[in-house]
Amino acid sequence: MSAQAGALRSLVDFYATGMRTAVQSQFQYRVANYFWMVGMLAEPVIYLVVWTTVARAQGGELNGITAGQFAAYYIVWTLVRNMNIVFTPYGWEWRIRDGQLSGLLLRPLHPLHYDLAYFAGWKVVVIVLWLPVAGILALAFRPELSPNVAQVAAFALAIWGAYLIRSMFLWLLGMLSFWTTRVSAVFEVFFVGELLLSGRLVPMQLMPEWVQGLAGFTPFYWTFGFPIEALVADLDGRTLVEGLLLQALWTLIGLGLVLVAWRYAVRRYSAVGN
Amino acid sequence: MPAIDVRDLTKTFLVPEREAGLLAAMRSLVRRRQREVRAVDAISFAIEPGEVVGFLGPNGAGKTTTLKMLSGLLHPSGGEARVLGHVPARREREYLRQITLVMGNRNQLQWDLPALDSFELNRAIYRLPRDGFVPMRDELIELLDVGDLVRKPVRNLSLGERMKVEIVGALLHRPAVLFLDEPTLGLDVTMQKRIRAFVAEYNRRHGATVLLTSHYMADVEALCRRVIVIHHGTILFDGPLARLAERFAAHKTISVVVANGAVLDAYGEVVNRDGDRVWLRVPKEETARATARLLAEQEVLDLTVEDPPIEDVIDTVFAQERAE
Amino acid sequence: MTGALRLAWLFFRVGALNELQYRVNFVMQLFHSALALATGLVVLALVFSHTTELRGWSHGELLAVLGVHILMGGAIRVAIQPNMNRLMEEIRDGTLDYALTKPEDAQLLVSLREVRTWQGVELVTGAVVLGYALTRVGGEAGPLDAAAFALLLLVGAAMIYSFWLVLATGAFWLVRMDQAAELFEGVYQTGRWPVGVYPPLLRVWLTFLVPIAFAVTVPAEAATGRLEWTTVVLALAFGAALFAFARWFFRQGLKRYSGASA
Repeated sequence: MSAQAGALRSLVDFYATGMRTAVQSQFQYRVANYFWMVGMLAEPVIYLVVWTTVARAQGGELNGITAGQFAAYYIVWTLVRNMNIVFTPYGWEWRIRDGQLSGLLLRPLHPLHYDLAYFAGWKVVVIVLWLPVAGILALAFRPELSPNVAQVAAFALAIWGAYLIRSMFLWLLGMLSFWTTRVSAVFEVFFVGELLLSGRLVPMQLMPEWVQGLAGFTPFYWTFGFPIEALVADLDGRTLVEGLLLQALWTLIGLGLVLVAWRYAVRRYSAVGN
Repeated sequence: MPAIDVRDLTKTFLVPEREAGLLAAMRSLVRRRQREVRAVDAISFAIEPGEVVGFLGPNGAGKTTTLKMLSGLLHPSGGEARVLGHVPARREREYLRQITLVMGNRNQLQWDLPALDSFELNRAIYRLPRDGFVPMRDELIELLDVGDLVRKPVRNLSLGERMKVEIVGALLHRPAVLFLDEPTLGLDVTMQKRIRAFVAEYNRRHGATVLLTSHYMADVEALCRRVIVIHHGTILFDGPLARLAERFAAHKTISVVVANGAVLDAYGEVVNRDGDRVWLRVPKEETARATARLLAEQEVLDLTVEDPPIEDVIDTVFAQERAE
Repeated sequence: MTGALRLAWLFFRVGALNELQYRVNFVMQLFHSALALATGLVVLALVFSHTTELRGWSHGELLAVLGVHILMGGAIRVAIQPNMNRLMEEIRDGTLDYALTKPEDAQLLVSLREVRTWQGVELVTGAVVLGYALTRVGGEAGPLDAAAFALLLLVGAAMIYSFWLVLATGAFWLVRMDQAAELFEGVYQTGRWPVGVYPPLLRVWLTFLVPIAFAVTVPAEAATGRLEWTTVVLALAFGAALFAFARWFFRQGLKRYSGASA
């Protein structure tokens, strides 16, 4: 039993060290990080402008969402979008061919820990850099937003849930690179599906019924729409808790799939080399 | 019990084959032709704990493939390997904690941070208790003389300096077995010497088993008492370095300086010339006679009989192999 | 003038021959274009499931804007971006000399030598979407409208080119301009919608700072018969000014470059 406790403590130690390393590294690149963040703003601003225009044309609100609420949705969107950035599935091909993978395989630690810890640390830097950006956006677009304590707490948890779910599923996608280099078609279909089914394009309630139904079978909403709505949509306590539990469920599903896929991927790699 | 025990270890790869031309390209879309390549062909050897063994062979001989199998990166196609009692292919955590694989120019350290920070990360990965980690780290830093380099971001270091700190990072967990794949590749002579001295010292202090591959004979000559020569996936020689020349060298080299700069083709094959000095290659049996003739017929100012450089020996060995 | 055209044709041929080797690129580009188009159409359909017009633009008219956006995007990715990216790289690496020692005009050379023919798929896609959109919009399109459209399309492309040239020339002074390409991608997405939907300040930036309005909205207005002659005059005037400025700025950059590298 104490061996288990020791292992757990070592793992926590690794995450702390890994996150600290990432913070130190990424802080050096704060200018590049800002550039990227600013470039990324075009997308939500466009959506925001378009949907508030539609709302105003319909008399001030659309499906119960006012212009101010749209503004809130898309401003919080920018943070959630940042939390969604994880190791790109395109990066696996590079990892395999560059030889980085050998280095990862030689360590007595599952490489998933390495990515999770590193990107988590990066997120900390990103959250700090994001705050002034959010301030400016709020001044420009006047969001309507007044969450209570429970909602803020749920949001704080939900953004990390989103991070974990997306980490798992993008790792899963990346595993395809072990079998073929022609992966971009699959990746693109995935990303388009995600765009439409996650709440990234619009709040899901604006999507036709059948699309919402379809989205229920996918993890996408839990990586994007749910965290935003936790803060913005005035959900009640029960919905929040259910949502967080579903996030946990999807994380476990993703994790299970990743562990299985990884075993096959390593088997393939060690049969074929690079 | 041997630290490394290899029996009939084999690795075959399936390599896609394709001819040039549009028609062949289209055909290959439908039906892929594959060829089997034996990178490593039923090799066997055993290495005792604490030995430093050199693995010599030209490119494509199977050295790196063997190292990768021994470190668990590749599954053998046949035969078996045991390192420290473990089967490497199983990649057990306990096993990975006792070995290290250092490859020529692979970066395992964080690019933007001082090496010291990467060492901290390795400490966490290998779960090293602090009271063991710190003295080991400091010992390695001192042995490799990188004290002033470890606080600089790794990207600011030269290739040789980077190699040294990478080695520190690779040994922090005090592995019992070191797999070194071309560790001095691309480094200047001073750096090569420093790294060789380090490996020898590390082996002496910690009794680690070292399996080292290299192109540079100087690495092998400086470090390894035993050498395994591999070519086309098979072992050609496994034994003391001294015996290598004995076994394979068919020639000796006579290095001579004559007064009047005469042409010396009659005495043997002229392989090199440097100012007044000429190097002649003669078959081993002829050495005494050629030497006597030179001394008698020419005005010899200086003469030495040398063993051919090991490189030539190796080249001959490989040439022989190819010819068979 | 004919010299420039001849040069352009030569580069195009070489580029095309080079890329036909990479058949895979065509297929991937087709797939990518199809996916992007489908997404764009879905978004429009979604918007119009909730409303009948957007700031005075109908569904068909917005489809026209989408078509022009794709078309212009294709033009940018076929010819403008590859050249400007290469220019920035060469400034950064100091290898611009090769281009400068050729007997042709430097600006012409650095602007025409790179061609990504497979992106041409976007040109076709955009044209098709535009064509379909115009059938939905209906109305009468005479040869004058078609001429105006073609002219404004060219003027718009020339403005985007000039903008890019100014950006790339900036590399002569601030070496780290690589982020620029990514930023542009993001900003260009704003062109998917007519510039009139954006709040006033943004509208001004998207007209005079990054000429998205002239590149996409204005030609779309021409195609759908919403054009006012004042816009045409403004486009021509601003276009000429921007082009002249870009050329002058580029020459300044060259002077600095040859002065700096001894």
